[in-house]
Amino acid sequence: MKKLKILGFLVAGLLISGIVGAQGATVLYNERVIEVANTLPDATDLWVAPEDLTRINDFVLKPEGACLDALCIPVLQDRDSEMFVRRSGQDWFNVTVLADKLQQAHVTDYEDGIWSFGVMPLERTPFLKGGVAPDFELADRDGKLVKLSDFRGKKVLLLTWASW
Amino acid sequence: MPVWQAIYEELKTNNFEIISVAQDSGGEAAAGPIFDAANVSYTAIIDVNHHISALYNLVNVPSGVWIDEEGRVVRINEGTYAKNHGSFGTDEYAPIVRDWAINGANSPYVWDKDQVLGHIFQRTEDAERAQPAFLLGTHYFTHENEEKAEYYWTMAQELDPDSWNYLRQDLLYEEGGSAGPEWRARRTAEEGRGETYYAPLEIEEQANR
Repeated sequence: MKKLKILGFLVAGLLISGIVGAQGATVLYNERVIEVANTLPDATDLWVAPEDLTRINDFVLKPEGACLDALCIPVLQDRDSEMFVRRSGQDWFNVTVLADKLQQAHVTDYEDGIWSFGVMPLERTPFLKGGVAPDFELADRDGKLVKLSDFRGKKVLLLTWASW
Repeated sequence: MPVWQAIYEELKTNNFEIISVAQDSGGEAAAGPIFDAANVSYTAIIDVNHHISALYNLVNVPSGVWIDEEGRVVRINEGTYAKNHGSFGTDEYAPIVRDWAINGANSPYVWDKDQVLGHIFQRTEDAERAQPAFLLGTHYFTHENEEKAEYYWTMAQELDPDSWNYLRQDLLYEEGGSAGPEWRARRTAEEGRGETYYAPLEIEEQANR
């Protein structure tokens, strides 16, 4: 009985510290499917370790914020903030709040822990306001990656069709 | 498709490429045999997530985008059949593609930036959310969870009711065909409102070129 009680305290403590109960997630990001082994349990948001953030969307957590090339979204890291918390020495980053700040659409299946993200509106501006062809990287039928920007210097007829 | 193959073989030495992208969640099994039958030598992609339609604001197939040597769109969002198939299609589009492949920026069919921006399909904010919903549906579809695939594909259609692609991809599995009763009813309703099912071809030679 005493043993059980101690075990109970231990489990509760671990839960609060965010170690036990950490669950995996699957993230769909453009053409990427990223399996994340550990997330910080949260009813609505996706919290991942900073290295997983980069695996998901190429953003890197730096002292000045979450950065993608020249773009940096400020993130307070000396205390808990909306995008950053530290639990038992482990840093966690809130991917969904970042997406909201970037006005990036996302849809989640909470039951299965699958998070699907849309394109960042920022990335859409050159196309929608300037007529620049959006770049893409998709595998062809042989599995070879095809990148539109590799065709620079050529005229490209991009055709869509469907078998259905 | 054989028409594009002929144009490609004829003009590929003119710095001209074709990237043909099947919007097919059924993957290789669905679209592969059609590419094979046409024996295509240009770039062939099967895009299970309809990524290209999402990226270029295309709501129907077939659609075409012309991209110039600097990566600028110079024509977009047209019902781009290679030829007239009787009840659908057109013989007017392939010749202007040939003209552009040969003449590039000097082709009278190249649009300027304002014309391009005027032809990009305008999406609502809700419709922007349709893409991740469709992506999620396709993830379930490829993992053979039909119930959830149907749930998220339906969500995508509700968020982006302008997309014929999202509707018809789903109808293939829901009704067993993409041109069944629901598609016919919707198309008739749209045309009844004076709208066109395909973005109309606007083939006019530009002045001052």
